[in-house]
Amino acid sequence: MKKTLAAMLIIMCAFLINGNAFGSDTIKVGVPLSMTGPYTDTGDNYWKGIKMAIDEINEGGGLLGKKIEPVRFDAQEFAPERVMQGADYLCGKLKVDSVHAGWAGWGQDVRAYGKYTAPFFADDGSQTAVDVYKQDKKQYNNIFQLTDTGINQGQSMFNVLMALPYEYPNKKAVIITADDAWGTEVGDTLKKNFKEKGWKVAMHELVPYGTNQWGPLLTKIRKIKPAIIHVEIVSAQEVITFFRQFMKKPTNSILSYGYSLVPREVVDTMGKEADGLIGEVPTAMPTPEAPTPEAQAWLDKFKGIWTHLPQAGSWAAYSGVKAWVTAVEAVGDEKKHEEVCNYIATKGYKGETGWWKWDEDHVMRAGGDVPIAHYQVQNGEMIAIFTDPPAKPYKNYKFQVPRWIKK
Amino acid sequence: MEHKRITVFLAIIWGVVAILPLFFGSTNFIMHILIMCLIWSVVASCWDLIMGFAGIFSFGQVAFFVIGSYSSAIISARLGVPPVFSVFIAGIFTAGLGVLVGLPCLKLKGAYIALVTFAVHMILEPVLKGDIGRALGTGGARGILTIAPMNIFGYTFTSSDPIPYFYLLFLVAVVCSVIILMVIKSHWGTAFLALKDAEEFASCLGVSAFKYKLMVFALTSFLTGMIGGFYAHYVGMLSTRMLGIDLFVTLMIILVIGGVGKFPGAVIGAFITIAVNEMLSPLGSYRPIILGGLVVVLVLALPDGITGLFEKMFSEKKQGLSH
Amino acid sequence: MFIEIIDVIISGLINGSVYALMAVGLTLIYGVSKAFNFAYGSFYSMGGYIAFLLFGISFFNNYLIVFCLAAPVLLIFGFFIEKLLVAPLRKRDDWEVKVMMITLGLALFLDNSYQVVFGARMKSLPSILEGSFEMGEFILSYQDVVIFIFSLGGILIFRWFLNNTRTGMSVRAVAQNPAGAQIVGIPKEFVFAATFAISTVMVGMGGILLAQKYFITPAGGWDILVKAWVITAFGGMGSIKGGLYAAFIVGMLEAFVGWYFGMTWTLIALFAVLLTTLAVRPQGLMGKWG
Repeated sequence: MKKTLAAMLIIMCAFLINGNAFGSDTIKVGVPLSMTGPYTDTGDNYWKGIKMAIDEINEGGGLLGKKIEPVRFDAQEFAPERVMQGADYLCGKLKVDSVHAGWAGWGQDVRAYGKYTAPFFADDGSQTAVDVYKQDKKQYNNIFQLTDTGINQGQSMFNVLMALPYEYPNKKAVIITADDAWGTEVGDTLKKNFKEKGWKVAMHELVPYGTNQWGPLLTKIRKIKPAIIHVEIVSAQEVITFFRQFMKKPTNSILSYGYSLVPREVVDTMGKEADGLIGEVPTAMPTPEAPTPEAQAWLDKFKGIWTHLPQAGSWAAYSGVKAWVTAVEAVGDEKKHEEVCNYIATKGYKGETGWWKWDEDHVMRAGGDVPIAHYQVQNGEMIAIFTDPPAKPYKNYKFQVPRWIKK
Repeated sequence: MEHKRITVFLAIIWGVVAILPLFFGSTNFIMHILIMCLIWSVVASCWDLIMGFAGIFSFGQVAFFVIGSYSSAIISARLGVPPVFSVFIAGIFTAGLGVLVGLPCLKLKGAYIALVTFAVHMILEPVLKGDIGRALGTGGARGILTIAPMNIFGYTFTSSDPIPYFYLLFLVAVVCSVIILMVIKSHWGTAFLALKDAEEFASCLGVSAFKYKLMVFALTSFLTGMIGGFYAHYVGMLSTRMLGIDLFVTLMIILVIGGVGKFPGAVIGAFITIAVNEMLSPLGSYRPIILGGLVVVLVLALPDGITGLFEKMFSEKKQGLSH
Repeated sequence: MFIEIIDVIISGLINGSVYALMAVGLTLIYGVSKAFNFAYGSFYSMGGYIAFLLFGISFFNNYLIVFCLAAPVLLIFGFFIEKLLVAPLRKRDDWEVKVMMITLGLALFLDNSYQVVFGARMKSLPSILEGSFEMGEFILSYQDVVIFIFSLGGILIFRWFLNNTRTGMSVRAVAQNPAGAQIVGIPKEFVFAATFAISTVMVGMGGILLAQKYFITPAGGWDILVKAWVITAFGGMGSIKGGLYAAFIVGMLEAFVGWYFGMTWTLIALFAVLLTTLAVRPQGLMGKWG
C-alpha cells in the first residue's frame, strides 16, 4: 500500500514539476480565458483576436527576434480561487511577460495579477475593477483595461437613445437587466439618467439568467406602453425569446438591447426578423464599413481567417497584444515589465483607427479614435449608426424606425 | 476498514502531505493548489460523513461552504471580529442553518432529501445577489472584494506567502479529520451503521434516528462553514460564482475517486482529483469530457474508489501471508 | 386588470404543460426503479441536437420525419445506457448513491461533448408552426398551442399505455412490488431498462418540442433537470397524476409571482411552496403510483 502511494505521489510530482522546464528563445504570454462552461463563447472571441495578433507578429519575424508563445489557461467560471490560480500559474510559475485576458473576474483579476509585474490586459468593463485599481495605483501599475466601465457605457447608451432622430410618443421607460454585476451597473446608470431628464422609469426589473417565459413581464409592459424598453442580458437565448414574445403584440417602443445585441446568435438566428433592434459595442470596430482603410484591411483579414465578422472583444484583445508589442519594441527588453507598463500608460499605441490612450486609471476610455459604436440591425446585419462620445451619426448610415412602431 | 487501520492510513496521508512544501514550497502556484486540496478535503470528508456514513443524501455541502465563507467575511468586516474568531462564529452560524435545513429533511427519504438540500444551494444565489443579501453586506452581484487576511497573535497570513497558511490549514484539516474519525469510531458511528442497515430495527433498540441525524447535520455544516471561512480569508474575495455546477461536480468526483463511506478516502480523493484536474487543464474543453468519462468508468470499475482498491490489496496480502 | 390576469393565466398554463412533459419521464424512472437520473437534462439536450442534425439534412427537413427518426435512436440509447451503466450497480447496497454519481459523470461527459462537437453557441430549430391566434385582446401563438397539445397528448397516451397494455402493466407491477413481479414471471431487469428507455424518449421528444421555442445549448439541460426534479418531488416521486398537477401549479405560481413580485422571486417562492408541502406531506402531493 505504501509503495503504491509513494509511486503515485512521485508520478504526481513529476507531472507538476515537469512544466518548469522551458526554453528561453521564445517569449511566453499568458492567455487566461474561459474555455469551458457558460462563458466559453466570449472566451473564444477574445482568443481569435489574440491568436491573430500573435500569428501576425511571429510571421513578421517575431518580437525582438524571438517568437511569441501563447500559454492558455482555462479560467472556467471565474471563481475567486480560479482567478488567483491563473495568476500564480502564468505569472508566478511560468513567468510570462504579459497576460492577455478578456472578461477576467470583475475586480478579482486586478487583485490577483496586481501581485505580479507583467502587463495585464483585461476587458472587464466594470467600475468595480477600476475601484480596486484606485486603491493602490502603484501596486496595480501593470493592469490595463481595454474597455470603458459599465457606467460610462450605460451613459453612452442613454446619450444615443436621446440623440436618435425619432420623436418619442411619451416619456416612459422600462429597464430589464440580468441580476449580474454588468446588468445592475448599466441598469442603475440608465435609471439615473432617465430620471434626470424627466422620464418615468415605469418598471426596473432584475431577472435571473435562464428566463425564457416573458409572459408576466410583457403583460405589465403592454399596460405601461413605454416609449423605450432597454434589455441588458448578455445571453442570446433570453433576448431572442423576449423579442419573439414581445412581437406577438408589440407596443410602440424602441427596443434598446445595449450590449445584449452582441452575442452573434442574436443576429444569426433571427436574421431580418431582428431588424430594428439597437445596441452597442464598446472598443468596437464599426461594421459593415470600417472608419479607415487600415481598419478595413484588418476587418477583411479577420474575416479571411475566421470566416465571420469580428465580435465584441476580438479587436480589443488584438489591440492589447499590439500595444504591448509596440511598448516592448520601444523599451527593447520584454523583461523590463515596469518600463513596458509605463510606456503603455504614457505613450499609448497607434492602432488601425487611430490612437489608443489609457487614462490615469489605466482604463481605455471611450471616445477619440476608439469610440463606442451603436448599432441597429438592418436587413439582418448589425449596422453602425452612431458613435459616442460625442454622439454623432456614423458615416451615411441612418436610423430606421422599427417596423412594429405604428404611427 | 477497521478503525485502527483507518488511523494508520490517515497518519500516513497527513505525514506525506506535511512534507509536500519541501518540494513545492518555492512555487506559489502549486502551494496554492495544495491549499485548495486541504480545503476541499475537509468539505469532501464532511460530505462523506453525512452521505457515506449517515446515509443522508445531503446535496447542500457547497451551499454550507459558501454560507460559511460569506458569513465569516461579513462578520469580520461589519462587526470587527478578528478572522480567527469569525471563522468559528461562521461555523456556528452555518451549523444553525444546517440544523434548520436538517429538520424538514429527517422526515424525508432519498432523492427528496437531495432535492431539499440542493434547493438551499439553488436559492442561495438569488438571495446573496438580491436585496436581502445586499442589506447583509454580500455586495450583491459584485461580491465581496476586500476580506481581511487571517491574523493570529499579530502574524498575518497572506496569500502571497502561502507556506504559513498551508501549515495553518494543514493543522485545521488534521483536526477536522480527527474529529470525523472520532465520530466514526464512537457510539455515533455504530449508530449510523445500524440506522443505515436497518433503520426500523435500530430504532426499536432505542437508537434515535432523529437525534443522530440532526447531530450529523450540525457537525458537518459547522466544519464546512468554518473551512469556508478559512477559504474566504485566504482568497480575500468572494462571489456567487462558487455556486456554479463546477465545484459541486468536483466534490462529487473527489468522493467517487476516494470512495463513498470509505473515510479517509475523501482526503486522498481531494488530492488526486485536484491534481488530475490541473494536469488535464491544458486540454481545455476536453478536460470535463475526460473527467466525466473517468467518473463513469471509475464508478463501474472501482465502486469503492481508491480506498476500496487499497483494502482489497491489503486483504489479499493478509490472505497470502496466512497461507 | 382582468385582461392582465387572463394573460398571466395563459402563460401559466403554457409553462405548466411544458413542465408536465419534462417531469413525467423523471417520475417514471424513479417510480419504477428508485433510480435518480442526473443525466436527465443531458438527454433533453440530446433530443434537441439530434433534431438539429436531422434538420441539417434537407431530406429530413420535416418535424414528422424528425420525430419518427429521433424516437428509436433515443429509445436504443436509453436502453443501452441503463444496461451498461445502471444495471451493473443494482446489486450493491449503496446503489442509489452510485447511480446518482455515474449519471452525474455521464451528464458532465455528454454536455461537454455537445460543446466540443456543436460549439458553445446556441442552436435553433425552425418553428413548428408560424403565426398566432387572436381574439380581441388575447393573443396565443400557434407554437404554444402545439406545445400544449403535444405535452398533454403525450402524457395521456403514456397513461393509456401504462394502464392498458401488457408492457405497461408489467411496468406498474414492478413499480408496486419488484419481488412479487419477478415471482409471477415479469422480467424485472428488462422492465427497468425499458422504463429508462421510455423516459429517455419522452424527455428527448420534449427537447425537440421545446428547442424550437427555447433553443439548444450544451448545458441547457441543467435547468430542465432542476425544474423536473422539483415538480416530481412536489407531485410525489413516481406519481404521474401528481406530477401533472404539480407542473400546472408550479407553472401558475411562477407566472403569478413573476408578474406580481418580480422574476427574481420566482425561484424563492417555488422552493418555499415545495418545502411547506414536503413538511406537511413528505411523500409529495400524491406520493403513490397512479
